[in-house]
Amino acid sequence: MLARAGGGFGMLAFASMLEAAKNPFSPKVPMQVGGKAKSIIWIFTNGGPSQVDTWDYKPELAKRDGQTLEGFDPKTGFFPGSVGGLMKSPFGFKQYGASGTWCSDLFPKTAMHVDKMCFIHSCWTGSNNHSPALFMMNTGATRMGYPCVGSWVNYGLGSESDSLPSFVVMSDPLNRGLPKGSAANWGAGFLPSVYQGTWLKPSGAPIDNLAVPASLTPQRQRAQLDLLAKLNRQSLGGSAIESELNARIESFELAYRMQTSAPEAFDVQGEPEHIQKLYGVNEKHCGHFAKQCLTARRMVERGVRFIQIYSGGMENQQSWDGHKDILGNHRGFANESDQPVAALISDLEQRGLLDQTLIVWGGEFGRLPIAQKGAQPGRDHNPHAFTVWMCGGGVKGGYHHGETDEIGFKAAIDKVSVHDLHATILAAAGLDHERLTFKFQGLDQRLTGVENPKVVKAVFA
Amino acid sequence: MTRGLFVSLSLLSLTTSLSAAPAKVKFNRDVRPILSDKCFFCHGPDPKKREADMRLDERNAAVEAKAFVPGKAEVSEMIQRILTTDADDHMPPAKSKLSDLSTDEIAILKQWINEGAEYEAHWAFIPLKPEATKDQSIDKIVSAGLAERGLKLQPEATPETLIRRLSFDLTGLPPTPEEVTAFVTEHQFDPASSLQHLVTRLLASPHYGERMAVDWLDVARYADSYGFQVDREREVWPWRDWVVKAFNDNLPYDKFVTWQLAGDLLPNATDEQVLATAFNRLHQQENEGGSVEEEYRVEYIADRVQTVATAFLGLTFECSRCHDHKYDPITQKDYYGLFSMLQNIDEAGLYSFFTPSPPTPAMMLMDQSAKDKMASLKAKVAALEKPKTTTLPDLSRDELAHFTFDELKGNKLADSLHAAPPPQPKKDAKDKGPPDPAAVLKGENKLVPGKIGNAIQFTGDDAVDTPLGNFQRHEPFSVSLWMQTPDVKDRAVVFHRSQAWTDAASRGYELLIEEGKLKWSLIHFWPGNAISIRTKETIPLKQWLQVIVTYDGSSRADGLKIFVDGQQAAVDVIKDNLTKTIAGGGHDNISLGERMRDRGFKGGLIDDFRVFGRDMTTKTNAELQKARAELFAFQDAQKELMVMKELPQPKKAYVLTRGEYDKRGEEVGPTAPASLTPFPKGAPKNRLGYAQWLTAPDHPLMARVTVNRLWQSLFGRGLVKTTEDFGSQGERPLYPELLDYLSMKFIQSGWDVKVLIKEIVLSQVYRQNSFADAKTMTDDPENQWLARGPRFRLPAEMIRDNALAAAGLIKLTMGGPPVHAYEMSEAFKPVTPGAGDTVYRRSLYSSWRRTSPPPAMVAFDAPRRAVCISRRERTDSPLQALILLNGVQYVEAARVLGEKLHLETKGDLPKMIESGFLRCLSRKPDVKEMQICTQLYQEQLAHFKAAPKEAEELLKTGNAKRDASVPMPEAAAAAVLAQALMNHDACVVKR
Repeated sequence: MLARAGGGFGMLAFASMLEAAKNPFSPKVPMQVGGKAKSIIWIFTNGGPSQVDTWDYKPELAKRDGQTLEGFDPKTGFFPGSVGGLMKSPFGFKQYGASGTWCSDLFPKTAMHVDKMCFIHSCWTGSNNHSPALFMMNTGATRMGYPCVGSWVNYGLGSESDSLPSFVVMSDPLNRGLPKGSAANWGAGFLPSVYQGTWLKPSGAPIDNLAVPASLTPQRQRAQLDLLAKLNRQSLGGSAIESELNARIESFELAYRMQTSAPEAFDVQGEPEHIQKLYGVNEKHCGHFAKQCLTARRMVERGVRFIQIYSGGMENQQSWDGHKDILGNHRGFANESDQPVAALISDLEQRGLLDQTLIVWGGEFGRLPIAQKGAQPGRDHNPHAFTVWMCGGGVKGGYHHGETDEIGFKAAIDKVSVHDLHATILAAAGLDHERLTFKFQGLDQRLTGVENPKVVKAVFA
Repeated sequence: MTRGLFVSLSLLSLTTSLSAAPAKVKFNRDVRPILSDKCFFCHGPDPKKREADMRLDERNAAVEAKAFVPGKAEVSEMIQRILTTDADDHMPPAKSKLSDLSTDEIAILKQWINEGAEYEAHWAFIPLKPEATKDQSIDKIVSAGLAERGLKLQPEATPETLIRRLSFDLTGLPPTPEEVTAFVTEHQFDPASSLQHLVTRLLASPHYGERMAVDWLDVARYADSYGFQVDREREVWPWRDWVVKAFNDNLPYDKFVTWQLAGDLLPNATDEQVLATAFNRLHQQENEGGSVEEEYRVEYIADRVQTVATAFLGLTFECSRCHDHKYDPITQKDYYGLFSMLQNIDEAGLYSFFTPSPPTPAMMLMDQSAKDKMASLKAKVAALEKPKTTTLPDLSRDELAHFTFDELKGNKLADSLHAAPPPQPKKDAKDKGPPDPAAVLKGENKLVPGKIGNAIQFTGDDAVDTPLGNFQRHEPFSVSLWMQTPDVKDRAVVFHRSQAWTDAASRGYELLIEEGKLKWSLIHFWPGNAISIRTKETIPLKQWLQVIVTYDGSSRADGLKIFVDGQQAAVDVIKDNLTKTIAGGGHDNISLGERMRDRGFKGGLIDDFRVFGRDMTTKTNAELQKARAELFAFQDAQKELMVMKELPQPKKAYVLTRGEYDKRGEEVGPTAPASLTPFPKGAPKNRLGYAQWLTAPDHPLMARVTVNRLWQSLFGRGLVKTTEDFGSQGERPLYPELLDYLSMKFIQSGWDVKVLIKEIVLSQVYRQNSFADAKTMTDDPENQWLARGPRFRLPAEMIRDNALAAAGLIKLTMGGPPVHAYEMSEAFKPVTPGAGDTVYRRSLYSSWRRTSPPPAMVAFDAPRRAVCISRRERTDSPLQALILLNGVQYVEAARVLGEKLHLETKGDLPKMIESGFLRCLSRKPDVKEMQICTQLYQEQLAHFKAAPKEAEELLKTGNAKRDASVPMPEAAAAAVLAQALMNHDACVVKR
């Protein structure tokens, strides 16, 4: 009935004919070749995981355990009154894979994939406070209100899904809150609002207005839409605005498809048992995160461009923000995410999707190699160094980029700023960060700011 | 090509529009855009970015630097550099990432040089000329432009379309079926006068002001919350109501601007004029703990600068925050010159976390009876106030507590006047027992030998807490202590009653050392609502001083005194404006030596601390105290709105290096860019003078920018598309004569907005049919040529108001506090929707929280109102369709409309369909439409008869009660019919 409007125009054709009724999600051709990633999944380890307890092995730190860190500025972290001595990692480290990558015992399952993972050990940021550091990591600016990476990617690449939102965000479903600054972390800033992340509500219907009113069954709505299209065409059929009208009709059609597709995409219970088991969907310790990772894979299959999953809720003990008891804190959040993340890598690989999907794992900053004093010692914020790893999307496996100093306090060799990291992520998706611009306030604004950040080319295979 | 696909599309349409080679090149039209895009970044106004000392934005400089030889393109360096393939010489260079000039662009530059390389001032900066209106009209100008393209105006739209278009454009609401019928009838007899009558009626409607206000709220970044991370709610809606009233009163636009910018500076300013200045305070504000106060104060002022520049000048001033503008003649000094005028108020960079008070300066919102009451209470106080006889402090009476600090028991320091209560068995865990009069020593503070026995030596990080001191401002009180400071304190808290410094706006009272001097203050909200005095002399170091501070209960600075070693200290009055309570915010007791996120009395000593419930220098007058208590309580109960209130002494302003708050460079004074038009002679160098400069008849931008925004509001696109940028990077209008004509008329009419709108909407250009032939529509999709009438999807507010109005649900109550629509239950920070008919208020009144705005409004492209926005994006997304199909507001409106149709026609289907068309599309259906709708209704009816449960469910949506006289299946089928009509293109698209 609703034959794709007026003689098979694709969305692109609409867009080119109609600036006024443009479809902002028309896929756009990537601006540079090189990047392979069609989709990006960002596991955002909220709160700032400790590099020296996870992926940045520092034997020297163990040797100097308990010593005072000379010349340390107590204002580096957030609690200048609780500065302790150097503290060795409470976790055991061993080598994995052909690359011999050192990993702590926090991630026994993910560590099996090290030869596919690419580690950037020399990341650093400018702020030691959650909100600004989160905004920096997500939007490239410390103040709220700028477009996030996901919005830029969507603005640049458009959507490949004809029935799902192209940028989705999943937050902690265990009632531990949202990352500080909440929706501003996935906002479109000055980009058109269509590019903002669609936040999937952790409970109830994940998308607003998706549910057809109880009474209006999809069949009712179908009949209504068909007649509506007919009505619309009735007065304007053959007129010059037919194509404009078709664009509107198409947006209703997409909405209609979303009503059926989205719930289906979110339904991980329909997955075969061995897949559910692989992720740990029914495991108490990681089931919630497993569902989110599995949903992410289902979305990648359905052409969703950018998926962000927050590991952890707000701050302190509700996320990787291990001010107290770094041992218990990191053990807990690693335990929630290790199996699902490992499964996500395996599963994408076995489906041949890993090459075109970039997984990014990282938070807003790192943690100090010294102890934050307390009954059970923790670690305070550290903007000077943290590790981000990537996997898939054409990055070099088993590769380690950059180094911190010998105790893991500051990035020392081949330092990578947040803007560098952003430029690299965009490059992985085939986007040139210098040319991905949007005119606002009289400037061609971009994600990576006005300094001259560099793509970390070495990470690409 | 740096801006992705969209822009390339719009460029495409532009090139089409310019496809015929121009007879003679015009600099502004043809050449400037090329130079601006490809050259000015490195060869433009900004000397810091300038390469090879070559500037191309000024003819003399360019000729001198041999950029070109007028008349000889072939030997001109510029052309050679563009054409060369030598990578070292080629322009633009590869590192600029700019694409090469097109063949057409090169041809234009050559022709221009050959024709003499004449420059023109940037079109928008050329003053308006009175001749602009001579023998001109909208229709003449546009018709002439169209004739050049071999086109002409479309015929007039049908009267049904016209009344619908006009009703939305002038009131934001659809016409009622009765209004449509009446107008169509009148139109048959006398089209011209019927239109006159219609426009006059609509402009007189109170809903005109509401419709106009919506656009202005975007510009003014109006929101019902402070924004940033914490985003607490705030009451600023009285300003929103003022905007509606100002439009309805047709306040001349120059006054509209002057009042908002500088109403407080007008002679004998009225409350209304002061209230209007809240405009400058609507920017986001921060209160997150630990934020740097000055950093945010600077951000606020930067936001004011940007808003003024975007709203009134259409210039991207913000570029000049860090450096001279790269494209337009705005220097960094111009930026900070405006900055200096917008900062002269007694404000803090952070609002208070611990109290709900609006940040200062604020005005009390009082009606006449409240004002009368206030006057009478003040008179009563004045009558009781007699010249006081003051004596030296008398320490013999009314002592409330006395801490000698001689002995520490555990962490307790006894009050020598009150023995500790004997220990009693506790009833339960919550039972704290009788209050302990002792003070508590915290942290590493310690006892050391003092003036008399022992004293406390403070770490600066820990307090000593006493259990008393929650005084109100009508209560006289005094404190006596011995103290010693080891060094010159820039700032140190000696004692205070308050929760915190900036986090509570210092609410309470405090004795500080500031720049080595003693400062004694009572504070409602620092800095704008407080009384404060400071000694003229610094206090001596490393010696014991007896300090006595007193307060007489007057709420005035002259009621504060400081005595040092028995002598009244000479003081400067720092603040003398305390009009609200000093109580509240928490921490209701006096603490010594430390305060939350403030600087403590590090290394300082305090001994023999005594608190008195009296001004120890004068007699207490119980009657006066009672009268004051009454007056102050009345003041405390009055609501406040943050506004502008000029400081008598302007703050110093500096160029901030790279725009950073802590990198002060050269000092700058108030100025406006003289390159636009000189500052009016004799005008004050402040906001009022700036308003006079803006509204001077020869100002090149103010009227153009305003007219353009209004045009955008009616046509969906400004004559200049970049409403926010009239500089050289903005779009040059296709009809500059039209913009100038309207701007000049606007000024000549005395800035009469209604007159301007009337002229536009009565023009043939506006009244055209909004459809043109396929070629025109394809070549000019944005309707830049004006070869047809306006047609575009209604803005967010009208989408919702239209559905409510069509269903007859809309509640047209005007003004008042914001309300929560249904969709707020789905907002990011969900809020329970309002009860009863508050969910049917116009969208203008929906609560606007910046971190959680109404989701349906945002889906339809309403901006978040974080910063000034003068142009909305217009997108189509499936989320919009989902809202229209499934959103509670829309499903309810459909079922209510369905029921109404059924009731009023007694279920006669053809009549139902006809009435539905009139309500939703303002016209009658044709035969085919009647057939389609009949089919739809009958199919649905059959279905709902078979599935009555589904009908019942559908009819439950929303707050509105159902009329049981319509059977459920019929009501449900009618709802589906109504929903289809409400989603008809002609219902949601202005045609």
